[in-house]
Order: sequence, then C-alpha cells, then structure tokens
Amino acid sequence: MTPPPIEFLLYGGALALVALGLAGLVMARHLFRSILALGILEAGANLLLVLAGYRAGGVAPILTPGTLGQPMVDPVPQALVLTAIVIGVGVQALALALALRVHQAYGTLDVAEVRGRMEADTDAAAGLEPETSRDLPAVERPS
Amino acid sequence: MNAVVLAVALPLLGAFLTPSLARLSLPLGRLFGPGLLAFCLWLLWGIARALGDATAGVALGGFAPPLGIAFHLDRLALLFALAVPAMVLALWPWGGRPREWSLTLVLAAAATGLALSGDLFNLYVFYELLAVASYGLIAANQRPAAQAAALRYLLLSAAGSALALLGIALVYTQTGTLNLAQLALLAPVSLDGPLGLAAFALLLLGIGVKAEAFPVNTWVPEVYATAPSRLAGLLAGLVSKLAVLVIVRLLLVVFQRPEATQLMLVLGVLGIAWGELAAWRARDLSRQLAWSSVGQLGIVFVAFSLPGETGVLAGLAVALHHLLVKPALFLLARHWNGALEGLRGAARRAPLAGALFALFALSLVGVPPLPGFWAKFVTLSGLFAQPGPLCSLAAVVILTATLVEAAYLFRTLTLLFGPGGEEPRMAPHGALDLGTATAFAGLLLAGVIWLQPLTGDLHGIARQAVDMDTYVDTDLPTPRP
Amino acid sequence: MTPLDTLFILSACTLAVAWAFGRRPAAGGLIAVLYGGQILALAKMSGLASGALTMIAASPSFEVLGQALSWRFDGPAWFFALITLGAAFASAWFMAGEWGEGYRRKGGRLGLLQVALALNVSSMLLLLASGDLLSLFIGWELMSWASFLLMLSAGGVAVRWAFKYLIYALGGAMALLGALAWIHAQAGSLQYAAVAGLFATLSPGQAWTLVLAFAAGFGIKMALLPFHLWQGPAYAETPGPGSAFLGAISSRMGLFGILVVLVHLAGLDLLDRLLIPFTHLDARDLLGWVGAFTLIVPTFIAVRQHDARHLLAWHGIGQGGYMLIGVMQGDALGSAGGLLHVFNYATYQAALFLVVTAVVHRTGTADLNKLGGLVTRMPLSFLVMLVGIIGLAGLPPMNGFVSKWLIYRDLISSGRPLMFVATVIGTLGTIISVYKLIHNTFLGQLRMEHEDIREAPWSMLAPMLGLIVIVFLTGLMPGLVLDWIAPVQAALGLPVLDHSLGGVDLPNGGLDMLWVVGLLFAGFGVGALLFLAGNRHRYVHPLDNYAGGHFLTTEVRYHYSDDFYPGLMHLIGGWYRGSIQWLERALVSALDFLAQWSQAWFRSAQPALWLLGVTVFALWWVV
Repeated sequence: MTPPPIEFLLYGGALALVALGLAGLVMARHLFRSILALGILEAGANLLLVLAGYRAGGVAPILTPGTLGQPMVDPVPQALVLTAIVIGVGVQALALALALRVHQAYGTLDVAEVRGRMEADTDAAAGLEPETSRDLPAVERPS
Repeated sequence: MNAVVLAVALPLLGAFLTPSLARLSLPLGRLFGPGLLAFCLWLLWGIARALGDATAGVALGGFAPPLGIAFHLDRLALLFALAVPAMVLALWPWGGRPREWSLTLVLAAAATGLALSGDLFNLYVFYELLAVASYGLIAANQRPAAQAAALRYLLLSAAGSALALLGIALVYTQTGTLNLAQLALLAPVSLDGPLGLAAFALLLLGIGVKAEAFPVNTWVPEVYATAPSRLAGLLAGLVSKLAVLVIVRLLLVVFQRPEATQLMLVLGVLGIAWGELAAWRARDLSRQLAWSSVGQLGIVFVAFSLPGETGVLAGLAVALHHLLVKPALFLLARHWNGALEGLRGAARRAPLAGALFALFALSLVGVPPLPGFWAKFVTLSGLFAQPGPLCSLAAVVILTATLVEAAYLFRTLTLLFGPGGEEPRMAPHGALDLGTATAFAGLLLAGVIWLQPLTGDLHGIARQAVDMDTYVDTDLPTPRP
Repeated sequence: MTPLDTLFILSACTLAVAWAFGRRPAAGGLIAVLYGGQILALAKMSGLASGALTMIAASPSFEVLGQALSWRFDGPAWFFALITLGAAFASAWFMAGEWGEGYRRKGGRLGLLQVALALNVSSMLLLLASGDLLSLFIGWELMSWASFLLMLSAGGVAVRWAFKYLIYALGGAMALLGALAWIHAQAGSLQYAAVAGLFATLSPGQAWTLVLAFAAGFGIKMALLPFHLWQGPAYAETPGPGSAFLGAISSRMGLFGILVVLVHLAGLDLLDRLLIPFTHLDARDLLGWVGAFTLIVPTFIAVRQHDARHLLAWHGIGQGGYMLIGVMQGDALGSAGGLLHVFNYATYQAALFLVVTAVVHRTGTADLNKLGGLVTRMPLSFLVMLVGIIGLAGLPPMNGFVSKWLIYRDLISSGRPLMFVATVIGTLGTIISVYKLIHNTFLGQLRMEHEDIREAPWSMLAPMLGLIVIVFLTGLMPGLVLDWIAPVQAALGLPVLDHSLGGVDLPNGGLDMLWVVGLLFAGFGVGALLFLAGNRHRYVHPLDNYAGGHFLTTEVRYHYSDDFYPGLMHLIGGWYRGSIQWLERALVSALDFLAQWSQAWFRSAQPALWLLGVTVFALWWVV
C-alpha cells in the first residue's frame, strides 16, 4: 500500500488542529484551557493558510546565468500568516492578563463559576435581586 | 486624495503619543485626541466634497492593486468613514485616563480603515485591531465583572477571527487573490461551488461576532452591562455597523449568490426573535438596550439580505437610524443605570431626558413621520416583493418583534413617567450627556424635515454600491492582469 | 389657500394655544371658541355635504420614497369631521368652566388634557383627510398615539389600561403596516386608484389575508370581538370630557378605515366572493356577525357594571357593532342606518358621558351603588340623561330610533332574520342597562350625604342641553342628517338613500318621524290634558310610606341598586367566565416563557458551543 500523499497528512493535520481547538473551546471547563484551545485553533488556521501557498513545481522567477531556478512557494500567505501569528500572540497575552485579573478577583477560573460571579456582580451593581421562581401559576384557569 | 490615509494613520500616531503628552500636561493630552479626530473629520469631509458622485481608488505606497493594498473611496465608504470620527468625538471618554484615550484613538483608526479598505486581508487586520482596542476599553474600568466579560468576549471573538482566517484561506486557495476588485471579477467562476459558500459562512460568522449576528451574540448583554455607557454606545452604534458594512461589501462584491443572502436572512430573523424576546424580560436598562440592539441589528441583516439596490437602501436606512438612536439611548442610560424598578418617576425630575427617551423609543418602534418608520417600511416592502415564504415570514417576524419592542420600551417609559422619584439617585443627567443626546435628537428630527433629499442621497449611495463595474474599474485601472 | 388649509391651520393654532395656556382654566373658553371656529371652517366646506362638491384638496403634498402624499376632504371625511369637531367643541366647552378649575384643584393635569384633546382632533382631521393609503396610515398612527396620551392623562389606574390599549393598538397598526407593505410591494404605489385596481386582481388566499389584516387593524380600534377587552376600562378611566370625546368618535375612526378600505377600495362584491370553506358564509357575513356578537357580548357586560362610566364605555363598544352591521348590509337603507348611527350615537353618548361627569363632579363618585334620587337636586341633568337614554335605547322620538329602525327594516327586508334577532337582543340589553343607569343615579331615594348638592353649573349644563336639543331635533327631522349621508354613500360606492325630511318613504311601510313625534306628543298632550284637568293628583313624599309595620326614615337606605336584575345575571353569569381574558393572559404568559428561554440562550456558560454547532450546521448545509 502506498503511503498517503504528504498533502493529505498536512491538510488533515491542520484541520485536526482546528477541530481540536474548537472542541477544546467548547468543552473546556477552565478558562486557561480555553485560552490554550484558542492557541491551538489559531495555529491550525495559520497552518492551513501556509499550506494554501504551496505550488507544486514552483520555480522562483529570479534567473542568474548558470544556475537553475530555485523551488519556491507563494510568499503571500506566509506574509499573511506572519501578521496573523503576531495578532494571535498579542491576543493570547491579553487573554492571559485578563485571566490573571479574573483569578485575582474571583479566586477561580472555572467557566461556569466565573460566569455566575460576573452575573451576580452585575446584578448587584444594578441593585437587582436574584430572580426567583414564581410560587403560583402564571395564569388562573377560567372559572 | 491620497490624504485619506491620514484619516487612519493620524489617530494611530495620536494613540501612541497620547500617554506621553498626557504625562507632560494632562489638559493637552485630554484635548489632543479630540483635536486629531476633528482634523480627520474635516479632512474626510473635504475629500467627500471633492469626490462628489465619483469613486476613487488609493493605492497605498504606490503599489497598484492587485499586488498592492488599495483603499476604495465611494459614497458608501466615505459615509461610514465620516461617521467614525463624528461618533467617536460625540462619545469621547472625557473623564477617563490617558490609556483609554489611546485605545479610543486606535478604535477610531481601525474603524476608518475598515470602512475604506479594499483588500480582504487588510480588512482582517483592521478588524483585529478594532477587536483588541475594544477588549482593552471594556476591561479598562478595573471592575472584575467587566474583566470577566472582556475575557469571555475575547475568547468568542478570537475564535470567530480564526474561523474568518479559515474563510480567507479558502478564498485564497480558490482565487489566488485577496483584492476585492479582482475577487469581483474572479468570484462568479472560482467561488461558485460549495467551497465559496463555506468561505462566506466562515467569514460571516467571524465578522458577525462584532456585528452581533445570531449565534455569536451571547457576549452582548454581558459587555454592555459592565462597560461604561459611552463605550457601549460606541460599540452598539458604530462598531457593529462597520462590521455589518464589511459583511455587506463582501456580499455585494464577492459572494453575490442567493444562498448567501438566504443565510443572512435566516441569521437576521433568528437574531430579531431572540433579541426582542430577551429584552422583554430585562430588569435593568443597559441590558434591555443591549438586547434591543441585537434585535435591531437582526433587522439590519434582514434588510441587507434583500437583493439589489433595494437591499442596500433598506439596510442603510435601518443602520443609520440605529446609529443615531442607540448611542443616544446609552447616553441617557448612563445616569439611569440600575434596576428598572428603581427608575420610577425619574423622568419627572428630568423632563428633557424623559422626552428624549420617548422620542427615541417612538422612532425605534417606527411611528411616522419619524425616520425609523420609513426605514422599516422600505424593508417590509422589499421583503414582501420577494417571492417565497421565507421573506414573508421574515416580514411577519419583524412586525411581531416591533410589537414586543414597543411593549417593553413603553413599559419602561410608563415607569419613568410614573409616580415616585424620591430617591437621591434621581438627580438630573450630566450636561454633556444630555447635550449630546439632544444633538442626536436634533439630527433625527432634521432627518424628518429633510426626508426627501435624504432618501434621494441614500438611493444614490445604494445605486453606486451595487454597481460592480464601477467598483472594478476604480480599483483595477486598465490594463487588467 | 383652500378651506381645508384654513381648517388645518386653525387646528394647529388650537394645539399651540392648548400647549401654551392649557394649564390655566381660564384659557378653556378660548380653546372652546377655537374649536367652534374649526366647526365654522368646516361649514365653509359644506358643499361636500350637499353633494355640490366631491373633493376639496389641501395645498401641501409631499413625495417620499416615490410615493405621493396628499390630503383632501370628501363627503365621508366631512361627515366624520363634523362629528369629531362637534364632540371636541362640547368637551372643550364643558372643560372650560368649573370642571376645569375643580380638576386642577384636585391635582389633575389640565394642560396635558387640553393638549391631548387638541392633538387628537388634529390627528383625526389628518386621518380623515388622507388622500392615499400611506397618509391614511400616518394619520392612523398619529391618532392612535394621541388617544394613548389622552387615556394616560389621568394617571394612576388609567396608566395600566392605557398601556393595554397601546399594545392592542400597535398590534392593529402592525397588521395594517404589513398589509400596506405587501400592497406596496405588489402594486408599487399606494394611491387609492392603484390599490383598488390591485384588489380586483387578487387570488382568494391573498384577498383573505388582506381583508383580515385590514379588518383586524381597524377593528381593534373599534373594539370588535375578540379585541374588545381594552376599550371599556380605558375609556372609563379617562378624565370626564376626554372620555366623552373618545366614546363619541374615537372608535368610529376604525369604522372610517373599514369604510375607506374594505367598502370603497376592496368593494363589498369582493367580500361577497371570499367564501369561508365548509360554510355558506362569506367575508361580508363574517364581518356582519362579528358586528352582531360585538353588539351582544359587551352590552351584557355593561349590564354587570356598577360604575356608571364603565357601563357607558362598554355600551360604546356594542353600538359600534350596530354600525358595522348596517354598513355591511351594503344597500341604501342599511348603510344609511349604519352611518346615521355614527352621528346619533356620538350625540347621545357625549351627552351621557358629560352628565355622568357632572354627577361625579357634584357627588364625587360614579359608583351606582352609592348614588340615587338625584332628580330632586339635579333636574336638568336628569333631563339630559333621560333624553340620552331614550336615544341610546333607540326609542322614539329621539334620533337613535331612526337609525335603529333603518337597520331593523333592512335586515328584515334583505332576509336576515337571525341577525335581526341578534340586534333585538342587543337592544334589549341596552334598554335594561340604561334603565339601571338612570334608576341608580337619579331615581329612587336621595342619600343623606347628597342632600346639599346643587345642580351642575351652567358651563357644564349648556353643552349637555345643546347636545340633547340636537338629539331631539335630529330625531324629529332625520332628513337633515340623511342629507349629509347621501354624499357619503355616493363617495363610497354605496347606493344612495331616497329620503324626506321626516324619514324614508318605502313601498311597504316607511318612516316619517314628523308624524311619529307628532302623534307621540299628541298622545302625551291628551294624557296631560286628562291628567291636569282631572286634578286628581296629590304629591306624596317618597318616604311617606311604611314597610313591615315601620315608617321609613331618611338615614336608612331603601333604594334598590345592588344586584340589579338578579334573575338575568344568574342566567347569563355562567357565560361570562372570562375566557377571552384568560386567552389574553395566556398569550402574555407564553411570551414570557419564550422570553425566558431566549434569555437563557444568552446566559449560556459556554458560548462557543453554539458557535461550533452553527458552524457544523452551516458547513453541512453548504456541502
């Protein structure tokens, strides 16, 4: 059996990274895991973009006498990915800083707990009591 | 014409200079940002006047597209580019710290870039810049709830951006270019199949985070309730419209297909239903306004999903109306934050604020002759003109949502004007807030008086926006590659 | 500058004066004079009423979004405007004197009331003058919001009912807007001619949707079943003269809408062609029966009320049913009856509401169980209520009789015996409930706390007496009003009624009110002669009596007012289980549930889950 072509592995790997990242974001119960999953997701997306630049049999259009053209790939996606990586790094750093602050304030990074504390704080700042269930049915039946 | 780049570059430069200037002299730092924005406003106004009805392309750095990045100046782009410094000036955080001024200037620069850019990756970069500025601004007030909200927003938005990047990758693999004008030429052939639609869906979901589109709008009530009201007004009023503008550009230029408009319609309808229903049960004003803006943006999505010139006209009308009304409401809500029950009789102490709230509520609900009515009428008429049950269903959903919206807005109003008002919190609004809100109300009423020329202008803008031949000719001067 | 422009300018002036000076009771007289001036301006356009002119246009016209907006008066507009301005004039006159000062002293917002009234009048004139469907909608919305403002002006309990009205009214407005947008999408234009042309080309499904949307939109304002729950309490809680105005004409704007759109533009033959499946009924029958049930159900709800204002307000809904039945008959006699009923009803309903307000002003209560015997202290008010009640019940010699007779006659001759029985049941309900009203208020035993009250002041009596003079005169000579109705019928495409001054001349039994009233008075005259000539009468004090061996004394209450008509209430009580109220609350509760559900979406702990779900779904849908 012939080994699968390299593109299959690479594209599959990139997509798998994306899927892992998304799954991690969705299933994470700890905010730090969400941030890690975000990093993986961005890595997968960036990898896919780089792979999009591959040119089979590409030759650099720079000719010097005596040498053959060097193999090359499309440089544009690599430039784009550089930008995207930098943006991603910056955002992740900001995310970590925010997570640190949240941990300092709430003492936990559990997703559900943080959400609950955030809602409770917002409600308290507005002077709202927490919502309670009704004691009686909403509508009396016709007599 | 090349000076239009200053509208993006100057606020960025100003953002980096502001903290140092503020350390030298605080009053100078405070006035530096607004001064820069006023200059940008004047600059853009001059360019818009000079351009008139024509379009122009600006090749950055002299590199002609499609190899270089271009700014595309048409009436639609300049309209929103003008709105950016105007709105940021109106909602400037005068009482904040220098870092907030810097971040607001970055927001202004990124927003202007979003309005003007003609290259897909350039749009992505400006979008990310806008996002980062907004994360910083939301978290700036140090309250733990705000920082938790900013973190949750960040996670959602960054995930969306990664998906958008995937979409861009798909576009690049299919067409080999990221210049919008060249995409307009290549898209009918290259992006025709399911991969093109997948690219649109990914881009829609990614950019839709800022545009409060349906599945990705869960951040809205948390952020608007914890962020300062001026920032909430800026995000709800200006930033969301620019995100919608980007999506509309993509729709008009690249993805002109019935499935794409159908997707937008469905997401819009779901957004309307979910937003207005959630607003019905809101117990404080900020969250009620937040959900209301989700609903209104759903209407904007539905309006822009109509094909052709009608769609752009209807969407522009609803979007511009919301751009005026929502920030003004958030300004009024700045002082009226807190539980709705605690606002009993607040309008008795502050009659002008109460009257303004009533005016904006009437316009949101769509009472003639206010502009909100005309916007809704054009949208509904356009929806009924389309064949098929989906558009008629969307129209019925809009009508029902208007009823629900009127119910909760006027429930709030009857609370405001009701008896009560002895609490010490019921002091009148700040003069700046009230003055800005009055200015917005004045603009709204001016829209009523000058309705005919205004609709004529909007028709012209819409016509130019759908004209793809002009678009391509502007950015890709002959010979084409 | 056309006479219509003059009317609009006068109306705007009245609004400005009400805004600037309305809170001063002294300005009430000026405002009443301004309304009178508007009536004079309307009289200048009487060419429309005599049929000499068909249309008077207003100067301003705009073009928005490719639609031309124009305003003009024709026959129907003139007729309804006369009623509007008459009701406003009477209310303003009533407000101008002692009532306004008293209201102000009790903390009421007189300025708001004056402004709301003036705004109502202006918006109604705009609505009546509309020259195309878009300006009709604009006028409709402005009028709805003006009514909301008027209902709000009392504050307190009234706010809750005004809010309920708002929800109903906006629901109707959304139905109208949907229909309007659909017509615009199909026909491209909202001019009346284009709309009429569109109606002719619709498929039955489309026509049904439009007819139901318009009927619902206009019917909510008229409080047709099942949208009747808001009107009774909302009109009752409005401050006195405001309720007189609202009760007289405000709901009839819904009838105007139905006349313009369904009768004139769509045409009654279109309604005839829309059949309800599995029955032999068509849309016209449906509307007629809706009118019949609107007549019966709220009238018997009125019998159960023990607040005089609520009783009158519930009656207003029922009489609207009469008008709809008459109009839906579509021939000369029936439609004339329906249109005449609009005028007649306005006159005596305004008079009745004003009398009840005068009684409240003097005694401080409108509770029928706490009044009685006021005829001795307020004889002229009693006369006003007596005449008003005879009119409302539809008995000769008052004008209500003529319009009801026309409708009965038409129902019998067109072969609708069931609907005739329904209208008779409605009239029966009206008669018994108005008797309850006058008995509990004016007849019977005077209460001790009311020993010292005086007659209502002349500023209040004058408009009331003026109204009942109109009631009597138009009952005596209905031809006067039928003259005005003929151009209305002509403009709407209905056959015109041949009439004389006294009534109508029909081959198998017509009506001549001159003879009827003459005979009635002759009969009374003979009776009076016999009575006075015989001189066999002796005045007996009401308490010169005994029961169970005891003589009656003042402080004990013998006046029978609680649980009036117990037998009837026992019979019909089982039917009034509040089913439609339950439906209303169930709808609100369902909305609440949906809202809670959608809030839960926004509160999800893990937002990215939904993002993933939608991404997967979108990709699947794409591929």
